[in-house]
Amino acid sequence: MTTIKMNATQLWVHDQDEALAFYTDKVGLEIHEDVTVAEMGNFRWLAVGAPGQDASIVLMAIPGAPMFDDATQGEIRSLMGKGYAGTVFFATDDCRARYDEMAAKGVEFTQEPTETPYGLDCGFRDPSGNHLRMVQLPQGA
Amino acid sequence: MVHVPIERHLVRGRDLADRRYTDPALTVDDMAAAAGLSKAHFSREFKRVFGETPRGHLLTRRMERAATLLRQTDHSVAEICLEVGLQSVGSFTSTFTRHFGRSPTRYRADAPPAAVYARIPACVMRVHGRPQHRTFGEDGKGGQA
Repeated sequence: MTTIKMNATQLWVHDQDEALAFYTDKVGLEIHEDVTVAEMGNFRWLAVGAPGQDASIVLMAIPGAPMFDDATQGEIRSLMGKGYAGTVFFATDDCRARYDEMAAKGVEFTQEPTETPYGLDCGFRDPSGNHLRMVQLPQGA
Repeated sequence: MVHVPIERHLVRGRDLADRRYTDPALTVDDMAAAAGLSKAHFSREFKRVFGETPRGHLLTRRMERAATLLRQTDHSVAEICLEVGLQSVGSFTSTFTRHFGRSPTRYRADAPPAAVYARIPACVMRVHGRPQHRTFGEDGKGGQA
């Protein structure tokens, strides 16, 4: 029987350095991989993840020509700016404490911790506009 | 220099409406200020990018939330009117009826709570619960904010 599991997912970002600082300094993730490949036009593979968890978020710069034409780049930037280009759902064991900690660091929250049927949930954005969620699941969930 | 699209600024104004819709004093000026744009520029670009006026977005956010409260709480219609940042129950009832095709009382009687069926994240319910109709008196005239 073969297996399958989540390894990595990707978010577009408009500035990889800014995104890296946000996800490590403010969200509390750590660098999984940060490799710049000279023979690929200095393409930078930048992956972060939660401490102790293998799955990564790849913070991907929007490539220029010839990979993406100007119109495509603009469409992605527009979707990203509106927060429609992807979402990551984080989980925490203490949503209010984590919210307080991140808010004190200047994180742009879209929703304060709110009780929902599936736990205590809040929302925030990264510097590129990506919509992120953080939930404290009920004990035993 | 990194190019930051106008959408990134506009979404800050939209987020403010989504976050502070319970405040009856919230205005389009506040949304524009959150976006760091003049009211006229903000309103024009908001309509172009999101397809509705800032004021229309705020009202549909309130209607979506009212519908959720009708489904998931036993609060009275008058209480829910106030909870979503509106102050006239008569106006709330007629606006809700235009959006959902039923009065708040009828809507409550017809709609079972969505949470009975699935653990759908609140942000998803908020987007998909937003009513479609945008032609109503509270949305100003001629698409202006």
